[in-house]
Formats: sequence, structure tokens, C-alpha cells
Amino acid sequence: MQMQESMTLLDKIYEGMFIIVLVILAIMLFACLIRAVMGPRIADRIVAINMMGTMVMVMIAVLSLLLKEGYLVDICLIYAMVSFLAVIVISKVYLGVYKEKRQKNEEGGDSNGDH
Amino acid sequence: MEIIEWIRFIVGAALLLCGLLIFLIELYGIFHLKYVLNRMHAAAMGDTLGISFSLVGLMIFSGWNFTTLKMALIVVFLWFASPVSSHLLARLEAATNENLEEYCQVYPELDVLEKELKENRENQEKGEEIS
Repeated sequence: MQMQESMTLLDKIYEGMFIIVLVILAIMLFACLIRAVMGPRIADRIVAINMMGTMVMVMIAVLSLLLKEGYLVDICLIYAMVSFLAVIVISKVYLGVYKEKRQKNEEGGDSNGDH
Repeated sequence: MEIIEWIRFIVGAALLLCGLLIFLIELYGIFHLKYVLNRMHAAAMGDTLGISFSLVGLMIFSGWNFTTLKMALIVVFLWFASPVSSHLLARLEAATNENLEEYCQVYPELDVLEKELKENRENQEKGEEIS
């Protein structure tokens, strides 16, 4: 903030635009969260969370230019990898749990039929 | 020199706002469509096109340095990651939904689909011969 006096008009416009973009992205993030809470099926929720990850990535990239800290983009890259991994792990685990449950139900049904 | 800076700002801002517009369309699609497999179609757009537009705009702002390279790396990574995660999600939905027939046409065996396509093609050829 000590550089305030040497800021040109263009710098001020850049800063204002970044803040407006961040506010718009935050509002859209809340709309995504509503979809994730509403979603009737589990795939619905995962899709909404994936979308939120994409928007947060854009937010971090905008923030790194607003604060002029280049290393924040590294965090953005790691965030992309982690959200990809999370989607894959959640869908694989849920598929496994579902198959196990169905197998157990079928076995239970057979034994009930025998008795 | 001043003019070049202003042109750079305008081009970058236009691309960034295009990205935001794509995100808005994606959001509309995700609330408007009725079923997960349709919603996924809208959601995949933002993962590739939306973030590409926004990050290309930010790259133009940032200039020619390592930050630009890292942003390009994010875009390339998402191009590979997004189809894979979409495919897994679609498979999860198709495997766990027990009444999938209500939402879309299901072919349990591939032969039925092939036979139907063949019949359609023959009918079309017949129609062309008559006309």
C-alpha cells in the first residue's frame, strides 16, 4: 500500500476488475453449493463439487495476479490434481460399496427363500 | 507504449469475461436440465472451455514469464483429467441406477442395438430408392 501514489490509472482499473471478477465467481460458487445440496443422486453432487473445484482454480489464479504473488499458481496446479484424484477415488469407492451391498442383499434373499 | 498496454488490458479482460460467461451458461445448464447424465454435459463445458478462456485472459495479463507457463500447464492438465473423470462418473451413474430405463434408452445387449441400426439403414436405403 506504500506504492499507492505511484499507481497509474491502468493499475487501478486492473485491481477493480479483479475484485469484481472475484465477487462474481464467489456468487456462482454459492449457486454450485446449492446444487450440491439439492442433487437427488450421488453423481449429481460429485458433478457439482467438480464444478466448484474448477471455479476455485480460476479464483486462485485471479488472486495470484491481484496480489502479484506468482507462487499461488503452484497451489492452483496442485488443487487441480487433488480434485481430479478426489473424483476418481470417490466414484471408485462408491461403486465398490454399492456392488458389495447388492451382493449381500442377493445372498440374504436366497437364504430367506430357502427357509 | 501506453496504447499497447491498454490493448493488452482490453483483450485480456474480454477473454476473462468470456470465461465468466461460459461459467454462467454452465450454471444455467446444471439447474435447467433434468437428469445427471444431461447435467454432466453442461458441466464438462466449464471444465475445458470456461477455464481455458479465463486462464488465457490471465496469461495475457501476466505477460511472458513462468506464471504463464504454469497456467498453460493447468489448462493442459484439465484437458486430460476432465474426460476421464466424466467417464468414471457416467459409469458410476449407469451402474448404480436401478431404473435407468425411465430416463434414457438402455440396450442390455449390443446385438439388439446393431440389429436396430441395420434395419434403420435398410429402411433409409429403401426410401431413397422409392423417391
